[in-house]
Amino acid sequence: MSEKKNVVIERTYKARVEELWELWTTKDGFASWWGPQGFRVEVKALEAKLGGLLHYDMIADAPEVVEQMKKLGQPLSHETRGTFSEFKPHQRLALTHIIDFLPGVKPYDSTMVLELFPSGSSVRMVITLTPMHDAQTTQMQVEGFTSQLSKLDKRFLG
Amino acid sequence: MVMRLDTFQTLADPTRRRIVETLRQGERQVNDIVEQAGIHQSGVSRHLRILHESGFVSVRPDGQRRLYSLRREPFHELEEWLAQYHALWEARLDRFGAALEQRQKKQRGQTHE
Repeated sequence: MSEKKNVVIERTYKARVEELWELWTTKDGFASWWGPQGFRVEVKALEAKLGGLLHYDMIADAPEVVEQMKKLGQPLSHETRGTFSEFKPHQRLALTHIIDFLPGVKPYDSTMVLELFPSGSSVRMVITLTPMHDAQTTQMQVEGFTSQLSKLDKRFLG
Repeated sequence: MVMRLDTFQTLADPTRRRIVETLRQGERQVNDIVEQAGIHQSGVSRHLRILHESGFVSVRPDGQRRLYSLRREPFHELEEWLAQYHALWEARLDRFGAALEQRQKKQRGQTHE
């Protein structure tokens, strides 16, 4: 766990680079896929520029998720804020989320980088999650990115 | 759930992580751990006890000495735990792909407008 390796996830899509870029940088584009399974995303603000704000609510949508949240005594909607800390249209962006919803944990930033590599009629999309410096924070960060379920953290943090 | 909590709490302590890293080189006795991990003598037996109780290390007697080594089980557990999050991202990118296809279909439909 001590190696500070980034988590890298990549896929190749048959598409134009502009089409992928729109899914990250327009309100309806972002909302159409970001929310984890069982959640929908309501984007309040998305300023597609360097330093631009991304502000959205993640709302439990699927009945089983709603039920689970209620059981854990967690709110069904969760407000999330981030900024585009890098913004090179059609090439690269960095999205820095502000993780301020963990009980007892000082707010911290966590960043993911998106890179797009067009080649012929497809585009390779590479996402890099930057790990934090110890296992417990990495755990929270990965969690923040992947499920955004602040709910689980309570359990892990005891 | 309980096991996972133990695993992360065990590794949350920097001294214990150093002990674990030292033991990656192989079986060691306490004095060698203290020296190679560059940690204080005080508290080392408490940390080793915690590591032992949480299943990270096993200990065997060798004459007067006690030799500590790593067990693989908690590391498997960590890998499995992380794999779940990888799976979540895979699911997210499946949705990304589906959203992309929908947009492409819609755009194609609008080409002749």
